[in-house]
Amino acid sequence: MTLLVGLVALWDAPAFAQVDISGLWRPLPRNQDGSGMTGDAAGVPLSNEGQWRAQSWSPDDFDTAEWVCRPHVWDYSLEGPLSAMRLWTETDEASQKIVAYRGHINQEEQETTIWMDGRPHPPENAVHTWSGFSTGEWDGDTLVVTTTHVKEAYIRRSGLMRSDRTAVRTRWRRMGDFLQATVILYDPVLLNGPYIRTTMMWVHDPAMPMFPYPCEEATETAVPRGSVPHFLPGQTRLPGLNPKLADRFGTPYGARVGGPETMYPEYIAKMRAMPKPAVTAPPGSDGP
Amino acid sequence: MKRLWTATRPLMNIAYPLRGVDGCRVAVQRARSAPRDTANQSRALRDIKGRARDWSLAVVCLGLVAFVEFASTQGNQAANRQTVWPPRLSGPAPGEVQVLPVQGKVHVIVGAGSNITVQAGDDGVLMVDTGLASMSPKVLAALKMISTRPLRYIINTTEFDEYVGGNAAIADTGEIIPFRAPDYTAGPQGALDITRASVISYYTLLHRVAGPAGKAPRIPEEGWPDNTYSIAQKRLYFNDEPVIITHLPSNTDGNSVVLFRKSDVVSAGGLLDLTTYPVIDVAAGGSIQAIVDALNGLIDITVPASHAGGGTLVIPGHGRIADHAEVVYYRDMTTIIRDRVQDMIKKGMTLAQVKAARPSRDYDTRYGRQTGTWTTDMFVEAVYQSLKR
Repeated sequence: MTLLVGLVALWDAPAFAQVDISGLWRPLPRNQDGSGMTGDAAGVPLSNEGQWRAQSWSPDDFDTAEWVCRPHVWDYSLEGPLSAMRLWTETDEASQKIVAYRGHINQEEQETTIWMDGRPHPPENAVHTWSGFSTGEWDGDTLVVTTTHVKEAYIRRSGLMRSDRTAVRTRWRRMGDFLQATVILYDPVLLNGPYIRTTMMWVHDPAMPMFPYPCEEATETAVPRGSVPHFLPGQTRLPGLNPKLADRFGTPYGARVGGPETMYPEYIAKMRAMPKPAVTAPPGSDGP
Repeated sequence: MKRLWTATRPLMNIAYPLRGVDGCRVAVQRARSAPRDTANQSRALRDIKGRARDWSLAVVCLGLVAFVEFASTQGNQAANRQTVWPPRLSGPAPGEVQVLPVQGKVHVIVGAGSNITVQAGDDGVLMVDTGLASMSPKVLAALKMISTRPLRYIINTTEFDEYVGGNAAIADTGEIIPFRAPDYTAGPQGALDITRASVISYYTLLHRVAGPAGKAPRIPEEGWPDNTYSIAQKRLYFNDEPVIITHLPSNTDGNSVVLFRKSDVVSAGGLLDLTTYPVIDVAAGGSIQAIVDALNGLIDITVPASHAGGGTLVIPGHGRIADHAEVVYYRDMTTIIRDRVQDMIKKGMTLAQVKAARPSRDYDTRYGRQTGTWTTDMFVEAVYQSLKR
């Protein structure tokens, strides 16, 4: 009898294979990805190219007129701040099947469509967008989304980038009134391995208001039009990339530049043997 | 699976309400909670029979639910499950072309060498660039898929072979509307050959493809531009929209970009190549500074629809359809490499030292090439030489 009851419990799970993820979702406060120290890439599997890109990045990049309206892209928004989100379905009237999930994130009004009807991804020469092109399929009670055709975008807002050749796999899972997303980035250019973020969580909140977040293209900024802020090789002024400065955690410089091995617990033992900078970064220069 | 779905639909209609706890759990609980009376043998026997019936119902119920779940959710999607990761995206096979809609009246033909922009409507067909000569039959077939109206204009943006190679064969299939009586011979306008499409370019492009006197031309004379301009812009009104051809020297001194103002599409030619670093022909007047300036000029005419994306679409010389953000990223990349090489030159570094320092190293995986007609080494050398001048 106990065995049969066990079977009941097991069979209950697939009975809910296609859960309803539509609705209004309020993000729960949590630490953002990374330590927050400007320039810190510890735990991110940057390739050499990704590290070099990070080392030339200047914070003034955000003040470049053309980038003032650059959004937190969909896969970053799931991690970033203010990601109040609305998900809804598009249904085929004749069959009552779900054709697609649509999504809207408050932060810079990013939208996505997750096609559930088995359509192929567009040809390689089709336009890339901030959210990319997504298809989904159910893996038990988890909606697994495959995204291609993305534009280059930042992983963290301090010069860590992923390229336009990135494929993104997102796993959506609803647990009662909670929704979780796990985002895995596969970038053959600026990463040396998959980068996994699992910290995103929302709570269902049918009364949550959503607000517009338009952005008007900037015509005049502090950065002269046509110039591109960046640091020349070896001249970065980011505290996280200054070998002489220590952050609040005493993270060795070698770890702060990131790379695949910095993702794994075994690296902690290696870090213990690394020299730690003696000079603490000035207050406020290592992020919030 | 569709057949299975249809055949089992009545069964599923019965079983569907039983999905989950509210259906089967009730049946299981009923089986578990049946009263036991061991004192009375006949009642006990009835209890056993009843419990057996209840358990049978529960098992059937669970079986049905499991089947419905498989057929309605996982089973349906098994056929769509992707087995290749990352997903492979389709492009034209070698030697083949692919037609993609862009927006408005504009399509792009990819796979013919350079990208070929096609604007079509009641007035006829206008092409921007013609691809490699060897691909002309495929290009002509693709044109017929887009429109059966006559080809009227070809605009050449860039003087390299993969942009102008098909001029002769393709122009020959077109016809231009005469603006004089066919027998009018007074003046140069009367001499236009109306039995072919008119080929437009900046005048230096004509000089280069024709080649110096006494030497073989780069393309047959039948493909030479016959409608050149030598000022900042040439303009047409074709298929109910302004077509603005702007001189933006970059790869050489003869580049043009073409704006289709109502369709909101720009054909950028070799100025924007999303597959590699921009080709710079220093001997033909190209330079890294001209590339950066031209990309800034291109940014000025691409207007994003929202949050730095969409809006004006840009067809690059090679690679995917782009928009404002792609042009800005490409501008950023070329500007940063220019600044690095400029700094190295200021420090007195030789070309060999600059190459060894790899000023483009963070972009090489994305845009660099070790072999072929335009390598990373050639790009860095061209940047260096154009900045040294």
